[in-house]
This record gives sequence, structure tokens and C-alpha cells, in this order.
Amino acid sequence: MGESPNPDWMNQWQALARQYTNAWQDASRGAAGAQPSAAAPMEGFEQWSRLFSSGAGGQGETIERLIDSTKRYATYMQSLLAVATANAQGSNVPWGNAFAQGFAGSGGGTPLFEHPAARAWREMAGQGGNGFASFMGALRAPPNADLGELKAWLNLPAFGSARQHQEHYQKMAVVTVEYQEQMSRYNALMLKASQRGFELFEGKLAEREQPGRQIESLRALYDLWVDAAEEGYAEVALSAEFREVYGALVNAQMRVRAQVQQGVEHIGSELGMPTRSELDSIGERLQALRREVRERGNGAGDGLADEVARLREEFAAIKAGAKGTPQGAGGATKAKTETEPQRKVGSAKKHAPRTRAVPTAAPAPEKVQAPKKAQVPKKAQALKKAQASKKRARTEKGASKATVKHGTQRATVAPVKVARAPRKVQAKNVSGAGNFASRIAKFAKASLGASRARAHRPEERARPSKSGKAR
Amino acid sequence: MGPIKIDPARAFEEALTTQRKLAVALQTLRDVDDVHFGVTDKEEVYREDKLVVYRFKGERPPSAKVPILIVYALVNRPYVVDLQDDRSLVKNLLARGEDVYLIDWGYPDRADRWLTLDDYINGYISRSVDAVAKRIGVKKINLLGICQGGALSLCFAAMHPDKVKNLITMVTPVDFHTPDNMLSNWTRDMDVDLFVDTLGNVPADLMNQCYLMLKPVRLNQQKYIGLVDILDDKVELENFLRMEKWIFDSPDQAGEAFRQFIKDFYQGNKLVKGGLKIGAHEVHLGNITMPVLNVFAEQDHLVPPSASRVLGEHIGTDDYTQIAFRGGHIGIYVSSRAQREVPSAIHDWLAKRAL
Repeated sequence: MGESPNPDWMNQWQALARQYTNAWQDASRGAAGAQPSAAAPMEGFEQWSRLFSSGAGGQGETIERLIDSTKRYATYMQSLLAVATANAQGSNVPWGNAFAQGFAGSGGGTPLFEHPAARAWREMAGQGGNGFASFMGALRAPPNADLGELKAWLNLPAFGSARQHQEHYQKMAVVTVEYQEQMSRYNALMLKASQRGFELFEGKLAEREQPGRQIESLRALYDLWVDAAEEGYAEVALSAEFREVYGALVNAQMRVRAQVQQGVEHIGSELGMPTRSELDSIGERLQALRREVRERGNGAGDGLADEVARLREEFAAIKAGAKGTPQGAGGATKAKTETEPQRKVGSAKKHAPRTRAVPTAAPAPEKVQAPKKAQVPKKAQALKKAQASKKRARTEKGASKATVKHGTQRATVAPVKVARAPRKVQAKNVSGAGNFASRIAKFAKASLGASRARAHRPEERARPSKSGKAR
Repeated sequence: MGPIKIDPARAFEEALTTQRKLAVALQTLRDVDDVHFGVTDKEEVYREDKLVVYRFKGERPPSAKVPILIVYALVNRPYVVDLQDDRSLVKNLLARGEDVYLIDWGYPDRADRWLTLDDYINGYISRSVDAVAKRIGVKKINLLGICQGGALSLCFAAMHPDKVKNLITMVTPVDFHTPDNMLSNWTRDMDVDLFVDTLGNVPADLMNQCYLMLKPVRLNQQKYIGLVDILDDKVELENFLRMEKWIFDSPDQAGEAFRQFIKDFYQGNKLVKGGLKIGAHEVHLGNITMPVLNVFAEQDHLVPPSASRVLGEHIGTDDYTQIAFRGGHIGIYVSSRAQREVPSAIHDWLAKRAL
């Protein structure tokens, strides 16, 4: 063990302890105007830490951690020195024994360093669930309670009109007891990690007996202990046993949380308030809808894209067939050719609107429109608008969901709204062209649905659709 | 001769010095302003929901023809790549002529609870890549995935190899079942369905506690005792506080994406074992045929090197480069060694594949 060159240092220690306690109190009083208090060794520290409790500066959380750690470190230094001096024999100071006593908690007292992982778990119970930690504390079974016996009683069947409520509270008590059981198992492992850490620490100390490798400061001793403690913890934390205990502890805590939530849901429901389950349900549906809309908008809906491709092919085939059939001359003849199948069951005039409906969903042959426009000008104009909109939608698919900056300009594409008028026309279009027309109608309907859904997307509501300017 | 040779007088002086430094800190901490980060000028180029894609502006126009899009993890904020003037991966890449973009995921809230990995990868990342590519007028861009963002980038590159010219992964877990992976060990017996069904989104505080427990004594205690040594140095203190702020500035995790990530990656290890499905796509790392640079940290306590260095065995490319960085998971962005080595390594590797 190390030797003291100055056997009279105990008196110096007393003087220094008084000196820095006074210095702390002076500093604290000066900064906060606090009144002097009793000269407890950590009083200056406490006063100092209180200066930050009102949120002074922007570093509140860091300062809390700093204070907590340094308090422990200061206690470590004081305790180590106190234990060492009490057991000093002449110039020999038994530092190793002092550290061991301080580590384990001399006289059965609190150890200098509680394993932070155990403390972290207690704090974690409160993370993300306001007041959950105090709730857990309130539900804690009495010390030394026979948890097995307690659980057996809690599993008794419930009766009567309040059966459901009783079952809920019984289950709440059961899951709480189970959580405590798992917490005990976890704490036992943390103790094991601490013990292993100390074994490793002793080994590390033994490696430093040679001159030049000896520990010469309290800080170096502390750092060595930290290395050993982390190694001991890592051994335990990487074990299969820890995996099982940790998983069981997490699951047990989640069961308690779930049971608490169920109780809160019930109360909320009784008060006519929206519950978390309801909001989650709405959120889930909304997200599913957004996903579907986006897929359609991107043309990523494979079924729909295939359908469009097939329709285009069929349309081209029909056009090609029409060109090859001698039906007379001029544009009007081409239109007639396209509506040829309908004419078998009715007049060309009667089916004329159906023919105009086709291009709303599929690529529109302009030559078909021209003669019809003269006959029904308003509907044809609506049709043309719809065609133009669809073309834009195809060219700018994907970009319509978001804003993309090109250099300094931002191009915003408004959600495309397909004209509704042709949709009515489609509804009548159920015969004649048969399979082809009905598939066209199906496609148009799907497209309209997608456009409407897109128009309801929250982020697109905030976007100016006409000006194209930035949000 | 024993192992401890502490001079008691020196020990008292040590204790007194510690106390004295804390007293000085009273004044220093009161003088320190709230720290800021994100030093490089940037412009927004794409926005969707809470996601924003930024383009960083260098002091001179980029010489690189193909931009880099940084895909950061969902579990931390991405500004660690541009933390401060002398600790900025972004700034150093720009200085070497790279054109750098970054996805900022934002802070998911309860409205985002149902976002899946498919939404993130085939949705957000895909559209971000498209937006950047369209802006530059290229078909493929370079992807730089970091940590969990690296795993997401691997999935994206495997599903959409036509959109990625070069893939760079940094501190990226690939094999989640290596024996030294503490996080993996902890999550294997977790009932993640119960976990997500109960919590909805996973609270950031809970995630942070989990990370702190990887090295509980060092991260909860020793680090702050070490802080005492720099309490009288305003600049060093600000550096510490800036990093501290980043560490605890964590977003909540979208529940469904978290569920799938734990199940398929941590528990199922499907990225290397196979059977990973993201939306309608199956993910086969063998589909990654573009050049790949994999940078990992040798002292990484979050993503052990063993979890990263196997990447080359599973991907389909013939052009695979691996760099082992001497440092930790965070040091790889912010240490002074990282500033010298990492941006140069990335730039040089890309430059050889620019044609």
C-alpha cells in the first residue's frame, strides 16, 4: 500500500475541509444572496446546485448530471480519505481496504457508487409516461411480502355486476407484482455485475504493483474502478441470462403500462372523451389512405398502370382496325368507326356522348373530337379540359406530391382535379363497346377517386394550387 | 510495494482543486449561452410531411458532378455531421468539392405512429433521391448512409440499384447477431409487439436511457467528473455542451417502423439471413452491385465493428472498399482525427469512381 510522507496530514485535512466548505458557502451566498447555513460538508454543494434549479442558463439538464456525478465523486474522495485515516497505522495508509469498504458501504451503509444501470431502470419507468414512476411506487408491494402468495390471491375469480372492474384491478395488481419480481431479478444481476467489477478491479490493481505503474491519485484510482466496473457490467449484459431477464423486465413493465392505459381509456370513455385507441385507429386509417393515394399518384399501383397499358393497346388496336375498314371519308367517318359496335344496338347519335367519354381515361384521339365538338360543344370543351389535366398529371407524376426547388425557383404542382362532367357520361356507357368501355369507365372512376383523395391530403391543403408560388 | 501510492497531502490538494473548479464553474456556466449547431449555410430543396432535404452551400461551387445525399439514422438528429466549425463532416466534404445534401427526418409525433419502413425507404428516401437527382439532372446519385441510416440505405440500394451510383455506409450495422452487440442481446427477448402496442411511438427519453446503459458508469458518471477538468475553459465547455445537447436531442421513434426494425433487423437478422421484405419488395443485398465504401469505427460501442465489417461478404458488387477508423461511434464525425481522415477518404474514393 502507499506510504504517507507526512504523518501529520490528518490535521491538515481537517483544516482544508473547513476551508473549502467555507469557500463554497461564500461562493453560493455571493451568487444567490443565500443565507449561511450549518457547516455540513456538502452544504455548499447543495446551495450551488439550487442556483440552477430555477432554470438559470440553458444547460439545466447537463448541470443536474454534473452536480449528481460530482457529488458522488466528492463523497468518494471524502469517504476514502476518512476510512483511510481511521485505519492508518503510522505512515501506512490502507487505501485498498478503504476503497473496498467504501465500495461496499462501510458498516452496511449505502455504497459510494450504486450501479448506474440499476438507477437508470428506476428512472426509465418514468420516461415517456408522466407520473408513471410515482404510480409504480404507490403500487409497490410491502417489503418482504410473499409475492407468490399475493399473486395467488389476486387470481381469484371475480363475481357480480362489477366483475369486469374487479378483474381489471386484480390484473393491475398482478402485473405490478410481476414487474417487481422481474425488477428484483434485474437488480440481482446488477449486483452480480458490481461484484464482478470489483473482482476485476482487484485484478487491475494487482497489475500495478510494479514501480512506474502505481496509482498516484484519487482520480486515477476512480478511473481504474470505472474501467473494471464497465468490464464487469459488459460481461453480464452480454450474457444469455441477462437477455432473458432484461426481456422479461421490459415486457413486465409494458404490461403494467398497458393495464394503466386500459384504466385511463375506460375513464375517458365514461367521460365522453376521445381515447387513445380511437385516435390511433383514425391515424392508422389515415396513413393507409395516404399510402394508397400516393401509390396511385406515383403510378406505382402496378394493377392500375397495367390496366392503363392494356387499355392503350386495345385502343390503338381499335384505331388501327378502324383505319383498315372502308367506312367512307373524312373525320366523321373515323368517329363512326370507333362507335361501330354501338351502332348495332342503337343509333350513332344516341351513343355519341359515350364516345367522348372514352378519352377522359385513355389517350384521346383528337380527330375523334373534332366533329363531335360541333354537335355538343359544351361537353366537348369539358372533355378537352379533362384531357389536358390528365396529360399534365401523367407528365408530372410524383412531383405533384411535393415541392421541388430548381435553383432559386420552386415549382409547385397543384393536385390535378379531373373534370367531373365526363364521369356522368361514363355511367351511361354500359353497352355497345362492352368490355372495353366498362374497363375505361373503371379506370376513370379510380382516377377520380385518387384525385379527390389527394385533394384532401393535409399538406396539400396548405399549398396554393393556382399561383404556383411558394408556401 | 503496493499498487496504490497516493500521497495524502496530494490527495487533499486534489479534492480541493476539484471543489475549487466547481466553484469557478458557477460563474462560467452562468456565462455560457445556449449552444448552437449547424454551421454550414444550407437551402431547402425538398419537403414532405416532417422531412426536409437540405443542400449545403460551400464557399465555392462543387466540382463533383454527382451529389451525395446523407441518410442519417432515425434515432438521432442529423446535425452531428455539421456540428460546429471545426467539427463538420459536411464542411470538409464541401471543401473538397463535393455537392452535399442531407435528409432531416424531423421529429415524428403521434400522427407519424403508423409510418412503416416501407414508408421511410420506398417512400421518403426514394422521393428524396428523386428530388435531388431531378434537381441536378442525373439519373443516379451517391448515397451516404450513417448508422441506422446506413441500414436503410442498404435496403434502398438493394431495391433500387438503378438510382444509386455509389453507396457509402458509415458505422452501419449489417450483421445484428454478433456476440458483442449489446443492443441486439437486449432486444432479442423483448416482446416488441407488446412494446409498440403499449407505447405507440417509442419515447426519445426511453431510447436515450437505453443508450446510456450500454456503458452506464462511464456515460452517467465518469463523463461528468471529467467535465470538472474543463469547467474553467469556456470554449471546451461549449464544445462539451454542444455534444451533450445533440446526444439528448433525440426524436421519438415512429412505432410501426420501430417494430419492424427490431423484429426484422435485431431479432430476425434478416439483412444477412435473407427474408427481409420492405413493402412489396424483397431485400437481397446481392442486388447491391454499385461500388460500396464501408467505414466503421474500431471502438464503436453501439455498432460493433464485427457487425459492420461483414458487409463485403453479402453484397453483389465487385468494387468494395472497407475502412476501419480508429475511434468510436460519435468520434467518427466529431473527433479531430475524423476531420482529417474521413472526408478525405470519402472524397478520394468517390473521385476514383467519378467517371
